[in-house]
Amino acid sequence: MTVLKTSLRNFFAHKGRMALSAVAVLLSVAFVCGTLVFTDTMNTTFDNLFQATSSDVTVSSKDSTDNGETTSRTGKPPVLPASVLGEVRKAEGVKSAEGTVFSTSVTVVDAKLDKLSPSSGAPTIVGGWNSNDARTMKITSGGAPKGPDQVMVDADTVDKHHLKLGDEISMITVVGTHRAHVSGIADFTVTNPGAAIFYLDTKTAQQTLVGQTGVYTNVNVTAAQGVTDDQLKKNVTAAVGHGYKVQTAKEVADANQKELQSFLDVMKYAMLGFAGIAFLVGIFLIVNTFSMLVAQRTREIGLMRAVGSSRRQVNQSVLIEALLLGVVGSVLGVGAGVGIAVGLMKLMGNMGMHLSTDDLTVAWTTPVIGLVLGVVVTVLAAYLPARRAGKISPMAALRDAGTPADVKAGVVRAVIGLLLTGAGGASLYVAATADAAKGGSAWLGLGVVLTLIGFVVIGPLLAGGMVRVLGAIMLRVFGPVGRMAERNALRNPRRTGATGAALMIGLALVACLSVVGSSMVASATDQLDKTVGTDFIIDSGRTGIITPQAVKAVKSVPELARVTEYRLVDVSLTTPDGRVPDNKVINAADPTFAQDLRTKTVSGSLADAYKPDSMSVSEGFAKDHGIKLGSAVTVNFKDGTTGKLTVRAITSDEVVIDKGAMYASIATVAKYVPAAKMPKDLMVFAMAKDGQQDAAYKALKSALHKYPDYTVRDQTDYKKALKDQIGQMLNMIYGLLALAIIVAVLGVVNTLALSVVERTREIGLMRAIGLSRRQLRRMIRLESVVIAVFGALLGLGLGIGWGAAAQKLLALQGLKVLEIPWPTITYVFIGSAFVGLFAALVPAFRAGRMNVLNAIATD
Amino acid sequence: MTSAVTIPRHGGTGERTAVAARARQVVKAYGAGETRVVALDHVDVDIARGQFTAIMGPSGSGKSTLMHCLAGLDTVTGGQIFLDETEITGLKDKKLTQLRRDRIGFIFQAFNLLPTLNAIENITLPMDIAGRKPDGAWLERVVETVGLAGRLKHRPNQLSGGQQQRVAVARALAARPEIIFGDEPTGNLDSRAGSEVLGFLRRSVDELGQTIVMVTHDPVAASYADRVLYLADGRIVDEMHQPTADQVLDRMKDFDARGRTS
Repeated sequence: MTVLKTSLRNFFAHKGRMALSAVAVLLSVAFVCGTLVFTDTMNTTFDNLFQATSSDVTVSSKDSTDNGETTSRTGKPPVLPASVLGEVRKAEGVKSAEGTVFSTSVTVVDAKLDKLSPSSGAPTIVGGWNSNDARTMKITSGGAPKGPDQVMVDADTVDKHHLKLGDEISMITVVGTHRAHVSGIADFTVTNPGAAIFYLDTKTAQQTLVGQTGVYTNVNVTAAQGVTDDQLKKNVTAAVGHGYKVQTAKEVADANQKELQSFLDVMKYAMLGFAGIAFLVGIFLIVNTFSMLVAQRTREIGLMRAVGSSRRQVNQSVLIEALLLGVVGSVLGVGAGVGIAVGLMKLMGNMGMHLSTDDLTVAWTTPVIGLVLGVVVTVLAAYLPARRAGKISPMAALRDAGTPADVKAGVVRAVIGLLLTGAGGASLYVAATADAAKGGSAWLGLGVVLTLIGFVVIGPLLAGGMVRVLGAIMLRVFGPVGRMAERNALRNPRRTGATGAALMIGLALVACLSVVGSSMVASATDQLDKTVGTDFIIDSGRTGIITPQAVKAVKSVPELARVTEYRLVDVSLTTPDGRVPDNKVINAADPTFAQDLRTKTVSGSLADAYKPDSMSVSEGFAKDHGIKLGSAVTVNFKDGTTGKLTVRAITSDEVVIDKGAMYASIATVAKYVPAAKMPKDLMVFAMAKDGQQDAAYKALKSALHKYPDYTVRDQTDYKKALKDQIGQMLNMIYGLLALAIIVAVLGVVNTLALSVVERTREIGLMRAIGLSRRQLRRMIRLESVVIAVFGALLGLGLGIGWGAAAQKLLALQGLKVLEIPWPTITYVFIGSAFVGLFAALVPAFRAGRMNVLNAIATD
Repeated sequence: MTSAVTIPRHGGTGERTAVAARARQVVKAYGAGETRVVALDHVDVDIARGQFTAIMGPSGSGKSTLMHCLAGLDTVTGGQIFLDETEITGLKDKKLTQLRRDRIGFIFQAFNLLPTLNAIENITLPMDIAGRKPDGAWLERVVETVGLAGRLKHRPNQLSGGQQQRVAVARALAARPEIIFGDEPTGNLDSRAGSEVLGFLRRSVDELGQTIVMVTHDPVAASYADRVLYLADGRIVDEMHQPTADQVLDRMKDFDARGRTS
């Protein structure tokens, strides 16, 4: 009972000193809870949407995906004949059935040829207006589409693109371009996260999207009173036979949910991973806080021991304080987490993805996970300092209080740290020199973990040496103030080491990822230079197909010497070893592609792969399936017949572009796949006539002006796009790592603030003998900068090492070029010095305001 | 009216510089209204240059407060304090800090030294802070005087209590301040170490012409001074020149007795 009482009193007496630790716990817990609430809310939103929008039973083509996706490589949705509708209607338990057509392989533009697609990556859907959709949509102005000239648009798209009734809209499909005017505006009655939807009347939709009437993409079936969806599915299946896909509303929703789930899971675990890093960093802060509190309370604890407290009681009293800290931090964190989730939803809203707070989902597990995690981590972190408190001897009560003496880093620590770091370094070396990616990545992971722990352990020892070096370089110019800052940073290497290590973790990850990212860009650029022999790359973008009209437009550009079409064909194979790898793709292209992309071969000539009934396979695939040059592979084209192709080239696996691809000519594929089922081009490559590159580029751009979904890039654009894409990804990761770095900066603030409290008397003495406030503040700032720069040096060094090892390992997969992004590294380094300055702001201000007399008063 | 003693207004020669510091009608009060406590009650005092002055008095008499005010560490509620001809009452923190740095030396009872700096670095700290180069010959003489020549590279925790106080004395002397204030400088030392330190202070007055003001409650310590001022209830109640320890002790007993009977 007394233990609890002292703990409580201590906790409240020192709540200021615990504030930053509480914030660290709060931030980490908030991030975890925010992530959970956000992903749960996304789930709820989509679940509601899928549940609400699916009809009781849906019949669709066998070729359509389970979630009702209506794209295909041909650019036309998979359809079923209208006769199915009649058969469904005859089935028992059917109240009503209606056929409809949908497609997402459409480019929709307004009169100024601006895309009307959502910027968030949500789909653009064009379809026939039907009674099933009418359940979840309300026409807010105008009317439903009637006749070929009318289109109804969803309200979000109307708002975003400032459309109004009567505006002209064009829909570009493989069939052609269809123009219509806005006849009505419809709003969702459930939350629509961002899809753009355009409704035509059914006949117009059939003609526009498929090019023929009498077909539907799906038949929506409504059950009669008292008939369950499952029963209805059985009846409908009996009526239409097994040639079609029949799904209940739940099945469609589940399939959709499953696809979404994998995406959400990736996002969730990535974000939780970053929260974990923040927790790890927070541990350093908490350890430091409790170590310092215990050190400051040495005398008090000695007294408690002297009057009869047991070690256990002292130990417990510290742990109870940690428990209180964990509870306070976590409870606030759970609350803040909901706030973060709402913030993320707003952010998504700005990016075009609408989520409603009505759907905000806080599962009961969320606060529980947050609380347990926060409290357990805090108590574990306080364990070592608590043990140290228990070891304080009763004699401590009698000794002079003063400032705790310098703490020397031990030999045991040095040995353990060096062993760990050495083992980690060796693992990284094994990873870097591995000849198989699989085993190598395990070594890489081990190496990263071991070197990280090793650096944390020897951090205090490194702090001694590095702070002296930093002091010699940076602090000498500041004279005695600099010298005192250096000595202060050195006086407790364990504290400086832990504070620096916290910063090290975040920055090591930044450095590592920036090295890998830059190496990716450099390697890809290098390979582009070496292997790409074409001037222009035309990409289909969102729709995944380039319409034949657009290809024709490209081919009619007179400045071009050659144009290569490139498309993907779904196949399954029977290889010489008798196995049947399913779900494979053949990259079918015109024979000129051998010049456009000069992929290295390990045997054979790539040009031969484009000869009739020939193909190429990749090195790894050949090895796995015992394929040699001249081997025959049976290719079963999903939308056609089966052929026997001869392997005439085996391509190298050390590539970045089209890794693992199997090439064949379009002509070969055309022998087996009927024209109606032939996939459309995914990309088109174009080579300008000599000296006409600029003119060709302009001409291409203007030829494709009508098709805003397609991009025309020359090699420079392409490299830039590649770089931007990787840069964007890195920025996102840096953004998430910022959390860990913020916690680490809080750690620097915390260490300084507690040091200032601890050094009250020293500061008073210095002020008494004439140190000005400005000098005092500068001294604290310099100490802070030294700690931050120390952490940054460790982190950047470690991160570059990790990155280099990762690059060497990934070289097996084409990441040939190691590029260390020195500008980024330099910015981070300089940035860390500023972070140090920033962290010292408040502690320096408070030290400056300290009352000299109170500070020197003898007790 | 507040002080029963005659204070030498000016030195016999009439030179201005005979007084190193003076306080005029200094009042220091804490709190307000009912809870108002007066620590210094209209104190007038002159500190003679080149002399060793001790301030004595029972606990709570205001002796430490008086020293803190004279040294520019604390602010006054009323009255004026001059260091030589500079009025320090009303100076801003920046000027006060400079003044302490350049013109005043301190020796505290405990915790005089920065643990991170070695002895010589501690000694030269005020000059380092000011960005001045120490006078080498003088520094040598000071170090010699306090007998620390062999221990200059030692950190404070490697020095005994007496040695630490001698480093503090050396620091106070090294910058050649106009005046050194000591707050119970021997309070934490055993009698031998204490007398050593007091001997140095005495010699620095005699040989180096230093002005020293020391707060103490130890009659033996006070006997090293040229003049002892007695404080009680925030007023100067008596003074004594060229005291011996016995005289001081007797006077103290006298105060105690009077305190008890009144």
